[in-house]
Amino acid sequence: MSSKGPGDIPFHNPGWAGNTGEFDLTEDQVRGDDFVGSRPLAGAHPAGAASYPYMLVEKHPESPLFEGPYRERFDKILTRYPDARAALLPVLNLAQEVRGHVSPEAMDRVGELLDLAPAYVRGVATFYTMYNKRPVGRFLIQVCTNISCNLCGADEVMDAFLRYSSTDPGETSEDGEFTVMEAECLAGCGFPTCVQINSRYYENVKAGDIPSLCERLRANGK
Amino acid sequence: MADQTEFPETVTLTIDGQQVTVPKGTSILHAAERVGTRVPHYCYHAGLSAPAMCRLCLVEVEKAPKLLPSCVTQVAEGQVVHTQSDEPLTMRRGVLEFYLQNHPLDCPICDQSGECKLQDYAHEEGRSHGRGREPKRVFGRDDFGGDVLFYGDRCVMCTRCVRFMNEVEQDPRLTVVERGDRSIIDTFFEEGLEGTNFHGNVVDICPVGALLSKDFLFKQRAWDLGHTDSVCPNCSQGCNIELHTRDNLVQRLRPRPNLDVNGHWMCDDGRLDYEWINRGDRLEVPLVRGEKGLHATGWEEALAGLAKELGAGPVRALVSPYLANEDLGAVRALVDQLGGGDLVYRSRRAPEEVVLKGFPKLARRRDLAPNVNGADLLGMSRVGDDNGAGGLEALASHGGVVLVVGDDLEDQSPTFGEAAALYVFLGAHSSAAASHAHFLLPLTTFAEQEGTFTNHENRVQRFWPGLAAPGAARPAWLVLGALLAERTGQTQPTRPEEAFAAMSAFGAGTYEALGTQGVLVVPSTRQEPARAAGD
Amino acid sequence: MAYPYVSDREVRVISTQFGDPEARTLAGAKQRGRYQGLKTALGMSPDAVVDIVKASGLRGRGGAGFPTGLKWSFMPKDYNKPHYLCCNADESEPGTFKDREIIRWDPHQLVEGCLIGAYAIRARHAYIYCRGEFFEATQVLARAVEEAYADGLIGDDVMGSGQKIDLTVHVGSGAYICGEETGLMNSLEGRRGEPRVKPPFPAAVGVFGMPTTVINVETLCAVPHIVVNGHEWYRQWGSEKSPGTKLFCVSGHVRKPGNYELPLGFPLMDLIEDICGGITDGNALKAVIPGGSSVPLLTAEGCRSCALDYEGVSSCGSMLGCASVIVMDETTDIVKQVRRMAAFYAHESCGQCTPCREGSIWVTRILKRIEDGRGTEDDLDTLMELTAQMVGTTICVLSDSVAAPVQSSILKFRDEYLALIRHGERVGTA
Repeated sequence: MSSKGPGDIPFHNPGWAGNTGEFDLTEDQVRGDDFVGSRPLAGAHPAGAASYPYMLVEKHPESPLFEGPYRERFDKILTRYPDARAALLPVLNLAQEVRGHVSPEAMDRVGELLDLAPAYVRGVATFYTMYNKRPVGRFLIQVCTNISCNLCGADEVMDAFLRYSSTDPGETSEDGEFTVMEAECLAGCGFPTCVQINSRYYENVKAGDIPSLCERLRANGK
Repeated sequence: MADQTEFPETVTLTIDGQQVTVPKGTSILHAAERVGTRVPHYCYHAGLSAPAMCRLCLVEVEKAPKLLPSCVTQVAEGQVVHTQSDEPLTMRRGVLEFYLQNHPLDCPICDQSGECKLQDYAHEEGRSHGRGREPKRVFGRDDFGGDVLFYGDRCVMCTRCVRFMNEVEQDPRLTVVERGDRSIIDTFFEEGLEGTNFHGNVVDICPVGALLSKDFLFKQRAWDLGHTDSVCPNCSQGCNIELHTRDNLVQRLRPRPNLDVNGHWMCDDGRLDYEWINRGDRLEVPLVRGEKGLHATGWEEALAGLAKELGAGPVRALVSPYLANEDLGAVRALVDQLGGGDLVYRSRRAPEEVVLKGFPKLARRRDLAPNVNGADLLGMSRVGDDNGAGGLEALASHGGVVLVVGDDLEDQSPTFGEAAALYVFLGAHSSAAASHAHFLLPLTTFAEQEGTFTNHENRVQRFWPGLAAPGAARPAWLVLGALLAERTGQTQPTRPEEAFAAMSAFGAGTYEALGTQGVLVVPSTRQEPARAAGD
Repeated sequence: MAYPYVSDREVRVISTQFGDPEARTLAGAKQRGRYQGLKTALGMSPDAVVDIVKASGLRGRGGAGFPTGLKWSFMPKDYNKPHYLCCNADESEPGTFKDREIIRWDPHQLVEGCLIGAYAIRARHAYIYCRGEFFEATQVLARAVEEAYADGLIGDDVMGSGQKIDLTVHVGSGAYICGEETGLMNSLEGRRGEPRVKPPFPAAVGVFGMPTTVINVETLCAVPHIVVNGHEWYRQWGSEKSPGTKLFCVSGHVRKPGNYELPLGFPLMDLIEDICGGITDGNALKAVIPGGSSVPLLTAEGCRSCALDYEGVSSCGSMLGCASVIVMDETTDIVKQVRRMAAFYAHESCGQCTPCREGSIWVTRILKRIEDGRGTEDDLDTLMELTAQMVGTTICVLSDSVAAPVQSSILKFRDEYLALIRHGERVGTA
């Protein structure tokens, strides 16, 4: 659902920077799928091959690493760096895109593909927050509770998500739908509270928005 | 132009008020050692890269805006460095406080106690009282496989172990996992250190008791151990080691640095194979066979009796590559004096070398004994198979003089030497195959005598005694030297360096010339193989 | 275009296209003047480009404020080794959200800046290291890069000049410390993003062991404008030592938070009260963090005469940093916010250096204990000493960043700490 225009916003739509009262574009115009959101799996130009979103909504933990269009994208990524080690972060991202999380077996396989020791790959993968070491729910909800959002009620937003999903931070709900975590500053500080759900940012989220937001997620997948 | 010797460019600087001149490129840490100051440090190690991350070696350098890590900061001309002034001492005390914050009070149960860098530095420069009221983080104990146990709570995250496996062993099995205060050392899940050949070194380089040897766990207190410089007896690499002893037993082996031989390292096979040195079933007194069987006797009587009988026939001698150069030289001299004879030895041999990739001078060599090259240089020949067995048919049935020095004859039958006119068995242990020996004379092991070994590249290296010999056991060079003196009337060597100097195969060198790091022998001084005296 | 709030006191140089989706396409960008700077730069020698940037006095906009032209001049002046340009788009400093908007709305400006920068430092390959969480921004950027490649603006023959410059969009995976220059380089090499010891400096040994320069997004975006309009033009704003405009990210308790591009030296109180519409609900101002969470807090009194440039903020006892102004009103619980900031640093510490690894979590736990009403006055002394031990003893300055909010809040808001310690009372709720 998109807003109708400045000064006429009947539904407070947590979903895109701009719903603060004066912005006159719709969400589609800013974030429509024709500009962001759907990309060829094989990556288009190699220069941007590392940069496509991990589509966490569909996860296939058993998928091979890598075949078909993903193999093409892997090969493109490798051409951008003078040595294979430098491709490690984008390739782990790619493995997570395919499978939903980075398992020990995935680390081993990625190490094999790039000629890196598995212990080394483990060291790198555990350093970075975004690699999920365990499977997550269909929706990975990361709520910024850092200072700027914290000043504007981020703790309430976090609590509202936790209550809705009946989970502890970091745990996945029983129906496998939601995993709720705290995140550090997401760089949406001017639009508190900023929440990242899978690949998308949701800005200006207030605690009262959570039930309708989560229903929308279940229904539309985003 | 005239010959010009090139000296490295030097730099003169002042450390703690003392002027010192060092080669350009030296770190302040090393330069400080030259003036007698030891700056505390964890992550720096001479055999590894220097990441300057432990932040303990901070020193004050005049005109620098902040304290500098002395392990990576190079000296500069005219620099003025203070390592003991207020600012660095205060900051180092602060850094030590952070190290101690999460460190468990394990000293009473930690093997590292007594040789622990955290204890040492905290004692020298740390706060006298802790003020942490928050609970400490806990990681627990992890078995890394091989000989290594990891106590994560004690780890100071210096990453020496990680860098050793990456750079020196070049098999990256260890890594830092997680980030920040959750970071800790681990392997790739259950893969561990199995299958690596030098992982024992991470226990040596760990400055605290985080990485411990399972073999040594709870065995001894570090301050109870005697340290003796020696050479590893388990292959022909000749790694320089220390014997750590207590109660007249070897408790463990540790490498000592020799940049020409083993760097700072030794292999796991050698390190963990020391129990044989502690065998208790020793020959302790000279035994002479009389009508009623073997009876114990003193050395004088035994040697006097033996000297008379030595001319009983052509000589065949078997030696062991575990004997020192001096011992082997004495055997050779005696055999020559008796008219020459077959001189053989047996040794175990591994199918291949195991090279330490990051320090290729060091490998676990194929010859699994310390002095194969010494035997070769003295004209002795190898017989038998790669298990150190067989090859003794001629000796076993020889009718003349059979001389066995140092070989256990484990694989030989009790009928060995029954046809011999004179069968002399010298060794540290008795053997079933010595049941026909006329004389059984007790010898010391290498750990109980001073001497030299010749390693795979013909480097002669000294070792010193760390254990007291049992009973009346004596070094072979002393026993055989006495025999030779009896027969020739010349004076016998009474000290090992005299025995060493007497050997022309080693260029009549001196112990002083060998020093503590050994010297390469030129192979052209190899003695011609002894001619067989005929059978 | 309004995005979402604008002020007519803004001086828009970099942020002219915020809120204009057309500008993201190559056609739209070119219509709006993008790539004119690249054309001009390619007509000069690389050293001439460096000289213009030097003369303009542009300072790094990522927080350190190091003169950009000077930084570029450290690079070797030959093509013997491959040089690399790394654009630091790993924006993770709490309170900062300018780079995300720049990339989202005006990616071609950034691409152009990267190309000019690469040309000036004789780099054949530029990497834009984007924060992993920026999926939308990264896709917009990737699409822009694709369009630019197709149009011959990047690649083997940039704009027909014969120069070869490649550009890669590299994506990070969630670590604040990868925004640190040497941490970024390690992360780009596929390692743990742990900062390196300097020396050696990146211009000598950087990424892949080659000479490298790391530059912030906002800094690079100013470069095309400087090249086109000249250094004098850029100096018409700001002061002698802090020339030009800056994107100020205002967040917290103001009515109109957002990005505002203003000349350096703009008065802080004007920004809060006039441009941002004042404090929410008309509350009184309590504290301001002028430059992102790594700089000391200012009290309301301390803000009164604060001018927002590097020297001005320093003279008030803080630092400009990345100019992320976090405004806290009277409802703020200072102890809670300081604890949250310390927890952020503890979470993001890479763990190499012991003072930071152990100190940041220790400080956080003491603050939590105080916040829970179980603190003592000794704890305040301990906190001051511990943070003093964390300053200047580490490889990077994350450790120093823990000290800034903790020490400044204890010095300036001691009564809030004491209220918790003595009476278990929180002052403020937010």
